[in-house]
Amino acid sequence: MNERRVLVPGEAAQLPALTRFLREFWSAAGLPAAEALCFELALEELFTNVVRHGAPGGPPPAVELSLALAGPRLTMTLADDGPAFDPLALPQPDVGAALEDRPVGGLGVFLVRQMMDTVSYRRAGPRNELCLTKRVAAAAAGASGADFA
Amino acid sequence: MFDIQLGAAGEIVMAGRLDATQCERALEFLNAVAAPRVIDLAGLEYVASAGLRVFLLTQKRVRASGAGLQLVNVAAPIHDIFRYAGFDRIIDIVRAAG
Repeated sequence: MNERRVLVPGEAAQLPALTRFLREFWSAAGLPAAEALCFELALEELFTNVVRHGAPGGPPPAVELSLALAGPRLTMTLADDGPAFDPLALPQPDVGAALEDRPVGGLGVFLVRQMMDTVSYRRAGPRNELCLTKRVAAAAAGASGADFA
Repeated sequence: MFDIQLGAAGEIVMAGRLDATQCERALEFLNAVAAPRVIDLAGLEYVASAGLRVFLLTQKRVRASGAGLQLVNVAAPIHDIFRYAGFDRIIDIVRAAG
């Protein structure tokens, strides 16, 4: 299994560094670039939520991004030590609604749920942990369970 | 990097990464176009959920006068995002050929 992690303060300006980390992991693992898009979007959405809800009036939370590739399954975990916050508990938009009735917000977490195979949140001690998994095509085509170290 | 401008035929051309930091600029540009119609997304590499909001708001505005946006040359991974969001049911989206 190939796993990497990085720790950054929960500040908006850190997003490009996290995105770079994701893309470097992606290309080192030989995964198709087109499939990274969903993870980049999920990363932006979830990290932005952490920054926004993180630590009102205090220092930013410490945020850890970890990526793990095990066979065809990629797991992305975003953990922070801010106040308890479950982004999955936010109300979901009605994407079947007609345009006029469609609210403009609330799309981000819904999209993450749609794009990923599994999405889960847990509060582990002082940390929020959000975990996403998705089967990725190229690794499945390789199908040997080889290590991408 | 994100770029938005008018093309030769009056279409709107977007290129680069429409992440959350670029959405206000994108929306301001679109709001300044009286009747936006075709948006060429051939060069669009990335769209965040905040970026989707820009398309939704603009579509709502133009639909109010009976018109509608047409997004063209949309790359497959970007098209997938629009589909996941259900936007293909409310905006005319044309995938890039091939």
